[in-house]
Amino acid sequence: MEKFDILKKIVKECSEKRGIAEYELYYSESSGISADTFRDEISSFSSSVNGSLLYRCIVDGKAGYASTSSLDESETELLVSRAAENAAISEDDGDVIIFGGASPEDYRQIPKCDFTMPSAAVIRERVMKNRELLYSSDSQIAGDKIADGSAANVYASQGRTFLFNSNGLDLSSSSGNCGESFRVVLDNGEEKKTGGERIYNSFDKPDDVRVEKIGKAVKEARDKFGAGSVKTGKYNIIFKNETMEEILDTFCPVFYAEKAQKGLSLLKGKVGEKIASDCITVTDDPFAEDNTVQAAFDGEGVPTRCKNVIEKGVLKTLLYNLSSAKKDGVETTGNASRGEASIGTRVYTFFINKGDMTRDKLLEAAGSGIYVTGMKGFHAGANPVTGDFSIESEGFIIEDGKIGRPVKSFTVAGNFFELLKQIAAVDDELDFGGPGSMRICSPDVLVYDMPVAGE
Amino acid sequence: MCKKFYSKIDGLIFKKLFSKSKSYDIMYLPEFYSYGKADDMLTRALLEEVIARAMSTGADFAEIFFENTRYNMIDMIGGKVDSVTDNTITGVGIRALLGVKTVSASTVDLSRDGLLRCASQVADVIGDKPTICDIYLTERIHTDVHAVKRVPDTVRKSEKIDLLKAGCLAAKEYHNDISQVRAYFLDVDHNIMIANSDGLLCEDRQIRTRMGISAIASRGGENQDGMSSAGMRMGLELFDNVSPESIGKEAARQAMVNLGAGYCPAGKMTVAIENGFGGVIFHEACGHSLEATSVAKNTSQMAGKLGQKIANEKVTAIDDGTIPNAWGSINIDDEGNPSERKVLIENGVLKNYMIDKLNGRRMGMKENGSSRRQSFRYYPTSRMTNTFFLEGNDKNEDIISSIEYGLYAKKMGGGSVNPISGAFNFAVGEAYIIRNGKICEPVRGASLIGTGSEILQNIDMVGTNLECGQGMCGSSSGSIPVNVGQPLIRVSEITVGGR
Repeated sequence: MEKFDILKKIVKECSEKRGIAEYELYYSESSGISADTFRDEISSFSSSVNGSLLYRCIVDGKAGYASTSSLDESETELLVSRAAENAAISEDDGDVIIFGGASPEDYRQIPKCDFTMPSAAVIRERVMKNRELLYSSDSQIAGDKIADGSAANVYASQGRTFLFNSNGLDLSSSSGNCGESFRVVLDNGEEKKTGGERIYNSFDKPDDVRVEKIGKAVKEARDKFGAGSVKTGKYNIIFKNETMEEILDTFCPVFYAEKAQKGLSLLKGKVGEKIASDCITVTDDPFAEDNTVQAAFDGEGVPTRCKNVIEKGVLKTLLYNLSSAKKDGVETTGNASRGEASIGTRVYTFFINKGDMTRDKLLEAAGSGIYVTGMKGFHAGANPVTGDFSIESEGFIIEDGKIGRPVKSFTVAGNFFELLKQIAAVDDELDFGGPGSMRICSPDVLVYDMPVAGE
Repeated sequence: MCKKFYSKIDGLIFKKLFSKSKSYDIMYLPEFYSYGKADDMLTRALLEEVIARAMSTGADFAEIFFENTRYNMIDMIGGKVDSVTDNTITGVGIRALLGVKTVSASTVDLSRDGLLRCASQVADVIGDKPTICDIYLTERIHTDVHAVKRVPDTVRKSEKIDLLKAGCLAAKEYHNDISQVRAYFLDVDHNIMIANSDGLLCEDRQIRTRMGISAIASRGGENQDGMSSAGMRMGLELFDNVSPESIGKEAARQAMVNLGAGYCPAGKMTVAIENGFGGVIFHEACGHSLEATSVAKNTSQMAGKLGQKIANEKVTAIDDGTIPNAWGSINIDDEGNPSERKVLIENGVLKNYMIDKLNGRRMGMKENGSSRRQSFRYYPTSRMTNTFFLEGNDKNEDIISSIEYGLYAKKMGGGSVNPISGAFNFAVGEAYIIRNGKICEPVRGASLIGTGSEILQNIDMVGTNLECGQGMCGSSSGSIPVNVGQPLIRVSEITVGGR
């Protein structure tokens, strides 16, 4: 019998013994391997076997949660009693729902996961080969040294998720992926700069692909040499896709209905209103075609679907789980996430749709300003409640519509809600990167007159 | 000894069973006993066998880290319990070294087979020379200097909820414009055991309690927030000294200050950074660059600078994991070494790094009680504990009055750093403009950016009111509790981000 079948049986018995009629068991297990290099050898190699068991129940109309990483059978029994005890002190308003179920055809058939976990030997061989490629790249020719800290990383992971509840819902999904990354630290004798690139599900791809990626990482690092400063003032800013993605990632929770209901999002009551400029359409898609990690059901077992959150600047919907949907008297959007102590909200592939302007045209439209290619410190420098951000950035000067000299050590400040309205244009390139259960993507975006602090 | 380790945890749960006999049925007891089935127990003999297996292909060191953690968190929104996290984390991490090569594996499967499989995975990768090791574990007992009067996992949740409610109410009642209050009560009972091929066998029990409150002030479609927290390596007696009301009021006060504030102007300025969590500046600007994790790989701006003057002579910086009941303190580190007090910078001269076993090998230096990991799922590396600037001789009022135009950063937010370049950034939670030596109007949305080497030279006044603040520090070995601290300091010039 599968481990989950045993756990189901115990949970069912324990719950019934305690008179608990409504409950849900969520079980996930995963394993992973990862290897890193330092100079000419593998510096670290790790593998893991993980499991977690999340249980919730409804007692006297109130929900209680408990979780454990131990799959010991007696621990499973304790799990049920702990959750029941926690339900007794809960003060939720009775909106928690154990999903009643949907018909099988409501769940989208998603591509079957045919991933097989590579062996430790395969990972070891791959990472050493990649290290060799990294150090033999043509960067040395230009006189820059590939310095300590440069590394190849190779990883693989796979996981399975099971959801079982007292209404007879019994779902499972599996996923797996592997990837390779290159980190380049270049030393030109005066300063060190870094660049990085990744490839996904790539073990069977030829080495040309890797060489090309390493070349890109080297170029990224080299382009940063000699970065100067910028004067404090207002600038036209193009946020490179990766930096706009970080901004969107940070402020993504403002689209969660539960945040609005708790007074933690300024988008409360704004559905149907214009909250962004015309060129902004934001979509959340659980079935993005390029993605090998798709989701047919959410953290409560509800079938998922694709939807526009912002359409041509108008807020079409917030994102819901069963409980937040009940509070607003709407249908759930299938965006429940399963946490240790609550049902939260999540996104799948959440992206700003691309426009029709090429990157060159976007640069031309900016005229002069800054092309921001890197931002860091969002966990401290950005506040989803207020929308304010002030973030350390690096990038390149834009002069006469062309990318110029590198610049660093300046901050770009703004407010997310104002930013949405200020975006003047987006370009026509949208890169989803690799597979992932949650991905936030954007094209490059242009904003006029942003405050920048520098010299 | 390992039996004792288990029985300690058993004891914990037993207390719960009896103190809450109403919610637990006595029928759970017999099954509970079966938890400790002899062959599932982490006996000393089994630990020795597992270490020998990890060493079986030629590793020169192997280590087992066993963890059993009880993690409780109560979240409150608008004065009502929003969620209760009740989690048990149990697992094992096995690590082997061969020179400076490291291989690690972790598992939640604690059966004999599961542990041996995990050790074999390590052995398969680290070497290929069949080796037979005779491991004999000898137990070492460390003194626990952190008294805990009321173990939080054994306190009724209703009592914690009452404390939280008192804090939330104080925040809400602070002002009519306080529109929302969020709060959490966190307690962690982290039991660890370390056994290694040097024959070491030791354990520690790390109990922490923390309350944090965040208040949101709203007016005219604008939100501003403020936050405050208190945390110690102790139990519920924490609130004998710090009242939940004071935490709530402080969060609300800060939110109200920010609600009335205009945006911070941008540019280079002289900045006075207040004590307590202000110490995050050393943590980010310099502390991470002094971790062997980056020093050993020569990826730190501080590598190779021991004995050199790297800071203004007014600067003396300490990392001290031995302070009784301090948030970042540990009796032993996660390799089993006793915690130490280290002088990192003395009068501006670099004296020491934070060093773990692996990176100590790379650097040719001895480990100094700095190896830490969030859980068995991470492998340990050098990290900070309680890190702070020592007090100086400058009077606090002199520091403020010395600034003609600048910023007074009263409360800092979090930050981050790139150890290679030393470039750091952090957010200021509460700030005021200083004009003609006087603290004037509040400003919001400020951030400070710069590089560690630059700011260390620019700290030209150090005050006398040393205090620490609590934080969670995230890095390669996970999220760990650390204290940051300092007296009021003056930084002669730093870039202030604003608008």
